[in-house]
Amino acid sequence: MRSLPALLLALLLAAPALAAAPLAHREILPNGAVLLVAERPAIPIVVVRVSMPGGSVRDPADALGLANLTADSLTRGTARRSGPELDRAIEFVGGSLEADAGRDSATLTLSVLKKDLTLGLDLLAEVLLQPAFPADEVTRRIGEIQAGLRQSEQNPETVAGRALGALVFPGHPYGRPAAGTIESVGKLTRDQVVGFYRLHYRPDGANIVVVGDVTTAEIRQALMQRLSGWTAPATPLPAIPKPLAVVPVESRTITRDLSQTTVMLGRPSIRQDDPDYFPLGMATYVLGGGSASRLYMRVREERGLAYSVYSVIQPGRYGSSSVVGLQTRNDSVTQAVQLVRDEMARIGREPVTAAELDQAKSYLIGSFPLRLDTSGKLARFLGAVEEGGLGLDYPERYKESMARVTVADVQRVAAKYLDPATFESVMVGK
Amino acid sequence: MPRTRALAILGLTLLVALVSGATAQQPLAAATRLPVTEATLDNGLRVLVQEDPRNPIVAVQILYRVGSRNERPGATGLAHFLEHLMFKGTPTRGRGEISRLIELNGGRENAYTTKDTTGYFANIVADRLDLILEIEADRMRNLLLDPAEIASERKVVMEERRMRAEDDPDGAVDEAMNSLAFKASPYRWPIIGWMVDIARINPTELRAFYNTYYQPNNAVLIVVGDVKTADVLARVRRHFGAIPRGAAPPPVTAIEPPQTDERRLVMRKDGAQLPVVNIAWHVPNHTSPDAPALELLSTILSEGRASRLYRRLVYEKRMVLGAGGEYSYSSLDPSLFWFYATPLPGQTPEAVEQALMTEVEQLKQEPVPAEELQRARNQIEASFVWQQDSVFSRASVLGRFEMLGSWRLLDDYLPRLRTVTTADLQRVARTYFPADRKNVSILLPAEPAPAPAR
Repeated sequence: MRSLPALLLALLLAAPALAAAPLAHREILPNGAVLLVAERPAIPIVVVRVSMPGGSVRDPADALGLANLTADSLTRGTARRSGPELDRAIEFVGGSLEADAGRDSATLTLSVLKKDLTLGLDLLAEVLLQPAFPADEVTRRIGEIQAGLRQSEQNPETVAGRALGALVFPGHPYGRPAAGTIESVGKLTRDQVVGFYRLHYRPDGANIVVVGDVTTAEIRQALMQRLSGWTAPATPLPAIPKPLAVVPVESRTITRDLSQTTVMLGRPSIRQDDPDYFPLGMATYVLGGGSASRLYMRVREERGLAYSVYSVIQPGRYGSSSVVGLQTRNDSVTQAVQLVRDEMARIGREPVTAAELDQAKSYLIGSFPLRLDTSGKLARFLGAVEEGGLGLDYPERYKESMARVTVADVQRVAAKYLDPATFESVMVGK
Repeated sequence: MPRTRALAILGLTLLVALVSGATAQQPLAAATRLPVTEATLDNGLRVLVQEDPRNPIVAVQILYRVGSRNERPGATGLAHFLEHLMFKGTPTRGRGEISRLIELNGGRENAYTTKDTTGYFANIVADRLDLILEIEADRMRNLLLDPAEIASERKVVMEERRMRAEDDPDGAVDEAMNSLAFKASPYRWPIIGWMVDIARINPTELRAFYNTYYQPNNAVLIVVGDVKTADVLARVRRHFGAIPRGAAPPPVTAIEPPQTDERRLVMRKDGAQLPVVNIAWHVPNHTSPDAPALELLSTILSEGRASRLYRRLVYEKRMVLGAGGEYSYSSLDPSLFWFYATPLPGQTPEAVEQALMTEVEQLKQEPVPAEELQRARNQIEASFVWQQDSVFSRASVLGRFEMLGSWRLLDDYLPRLRTVTTADLQRVARTYFPADRKNVSILLPAEPAPAPAR
């Protein structure tokens, strides 16, 4: 097994379409929700993904973890059915109905065989519009989330990621722990959950992505029939501030009795609406984006210092970060980190070779179809394009923008966004 | 009041689904499987091709019939180490060149090692199929195995072991459980190998292992995607046809003796935050008539929030963060039926072990309700349909069954599950889960520091 950086939205969005056919049909429903449909009739399955502005970025400062708790509690009972009854109904047909909160959004996802679509949509609408948030279910979820947070302390990458977020996004919601802390979650109440749901699970700002064995006409009708009562509350959503573009550089060491040290470097970065995003994506790929990258070759292949070493951009709706990371045994940390910092500096100091640029373009443009090869992946991609305000022609624009990137562009943005002197640093280990 | 009405509605739904479960789903799962063409080259290479023109991509997988079960004590981790070295070059493609070439062509590749199999896969735009075939044919017999590369990659594998086992409490206790439960079977050592073996294995052993197992007659090549079968077979013959057949690899002769005792271990890890309780029994693999019942039991116990262990231990008793019961239907040698649970803070491992055993005893004492059995069948059948959604998962499923003898076993899998009755489930639980012959492993967080003396 060889490690590859987690499949990130950055890569997903770094994706041009080969075919000129539109990825999906798009329309705005009367209640303000955006409907996106990709018909894939070959396999009798359907994914319905409803995404709403209820991510952890909207946690009140004194109620961290509220978005996560709300999403977690959504499927735990409705006006008509208990949580276990919902579970039995959907699982009996081999389907699933899951809600979860990410950084930017809360998402309710139905996965079901085509023949059970009616049942699935009934359950989805019931959960979305009439959740009961039974008090004992919310209490139960609080205990489970707290235990999960405690368990996550034994994963050094999770620990490092949380600490890095706080350094890269000081004072911004992105810098706070998405699921809250054991203490903050312990103070949350059912009333807060209900209030959060009412304000954020709203059609204006929502998108509904449907991928699978359906026609647009049939799914539009089925959704309108069930979601006609879903209307936007009068209270507008507060705006989310932009994170700081420049933050003080700090380093943090978290001591753990481990044989390896996990190192993560990070800084504020740019998202897809900045033209520099395209050359930066290329620079990030050349630096540490795969098994042919500079970091992989120098740190892993030549010196055997790490199993995992990578660089990525993590763009969100309201901000972005560039992250470079590795895991290495405790006594080689200094050497490995120096190699990484040297490579980060070098890509801003010297132009990449023409061969490297060609390689990066071929990979980033050519691997697109692989990233949309399942209904689930296509649904997530369409949701991300919609939420990012990128437009359904984004893949084409991306392809064109990427193809235009020059060696000089790569060097210029690398000098600006990959300069090691501007990166926060977190180490978890001895 | 609303509760009663909801139940009635649910009951109606169940009735409809029960009927469809027995009839409509059978053709559904079968209908979504596209035709497969099989061929065997003169040198013994097995080839499976499935045309799927929906996306302009192809999944190529080559599986070697070698895993950690083909190793010996003192040289554990050979198969996995060799998997890493398969990316380190041939006379015509230097270190890193294989990955670079595939990425240059917009492809994604990786590899894995299991107890039974070593697999290499690439997903790429369909018109680049030739590149992948050329690479796989090249590294099947022409691997450099340069001692300097071996020395450097040895350190990488050691880092991987630190991440997966030394520093991961769950990984560490899993390793310990396998060594506890298996005495004669090679399943007793970890796939990645013991650290001392990784540090010791020499280039000569790696070369011998490569020559023994990386032969066309010990491999299966699977191609699924936007391709034409005749064209694929012609290309495969061109790239692999000239490779001579190798000697038949030696069979694995180790047989695990029946367990006659109860075995237990307790592991303390500083890094662990919550305990883990594992209970495992030896069970037969797919070759046994009881395998479908074991497969269904695993689903009944673990799949979804309506599953037994979730409903009872997580939901009703509020004892654990998570729990499950896993079975390896397609394991080459008989393996374990493995129950696990993570006690919530405040719950003792002893109480959780007892709660797991209560569930096991109930499987023996009371028949599983028909609804639970039907749900499990429906879940497995639906997951079969979902697996048809990508060329990668199509290829993986074909490969998984071909490694058991034939991809055609795939067509028996669902019909076998449909014959299982609730009486079978009860009988199988009684046969394979004896209370006095189990393996128990418990992970405990570090003991709290003793209170300072006054």
